[in-house]
Amino acid sequence: MRGEDNELVARVVSSQDTRAFGELIRRHQSHVRNFLRKLTGDMSAADDLAQDCFMRAWDKLHTYSGSGSFIGWLLKIAYTTFLQSKRKSKRYAEILEQVGHVSEAESRTHSVQFDEVTDLDKFLAVLSEEERAIMIMSYACGLSHREISEATAMPVGSVKSVIFRGKEKIRTSFDIKDHQHG
Amino acid sequence: MTSKIINMAERMKDEQDRLLESMFESTPIADNGFSRQIVRRIRRKLWIRRITLPVAVLLGGLVAFQPVVAILRGLYQVLSSMPGVPADLVPSLAGSLPSLQLIVTGALILFVVMFSLNMLED
Repeated sequence: MRGEDNELVARVVSSQDTRAFGELIRRHQSHVRNFLRKLTGDMSAADDLAQDCFMRAWDKLHTYSGSGSFIGWLLKIAYTTFLQSKRKSKRYAEILEQVGHVSEAESRTHSVQFDEVTDLDKFLAVLSEEERAIMIMSYACGLSHREISEATAMPVGSVKSVIFRGKEKIRTSFDIKDHQHG
Repeated sequence: MTSKIINMAERMKDEQDRLLESMFESTPIADNGFSRQIVRRIRRKLWIRRITLPVAVLLGGLVAFQPVVAILRGLYQVLSSMPGVPADLVPSLAGSLPSLQLIVTGALILFVVMFSLNMLED
């Protein structure tokens, strides 16, 4: 896969081949869009950001060295695009507010509203933006700690401690065993 | 060796890791024209970049046409009043200048050709 990606990248860089770039988008759009959808919690904003991300990738493709995975490189651009955008979703803040302030009895009365919020949304809501991005890269995109380190420009040790901290936050905020068995 | 140890440590997942992986798991998103839309945007961008220079040169030429003609006429007058300059040289230079109409027609043809090429590429 990496070899094929590198071949396509070489074609794009050498002759500005838009078809080859289209093929790269088709291969990786799902990962990038899923990453941004989880990061923003907003499907349409995420898809707009994904478009911007691929446009930037086109402009910066000559900087891809081919040493790391192409998806890792793309997610780095996606994360930067997200950080630079003013379209950060308020959804997680709202979910956190609901989870934190609405009692269980009250939440039952608001069941229609809560139906749209998944367990994952609640997990992600308790994390900071950085923790959320790193946890998504690790657990949803399957990136190694080294790849995450390259994507976020953080040392590998810091990536590990962010993941550990994120897991701790989730563990202390929710009863994991309940989710596991029920 | 160190990287092997790191990889092994990464692979040693606990219960919570496996739970998180299953929770983060997502269904693949269908392309549904997403890639085509971006490729179209990129082609448009390339096309704009490609025609920017010729259009700028053309517009600059149009703006500069009259002053250049005026300068050449002035030069013609100066040259024709100078002794020793062949009499037929200066009129032939002035006559070889293209007219404004010709330049505009050429610009329109260039624009139509570039637009058609872009359409064909799409």
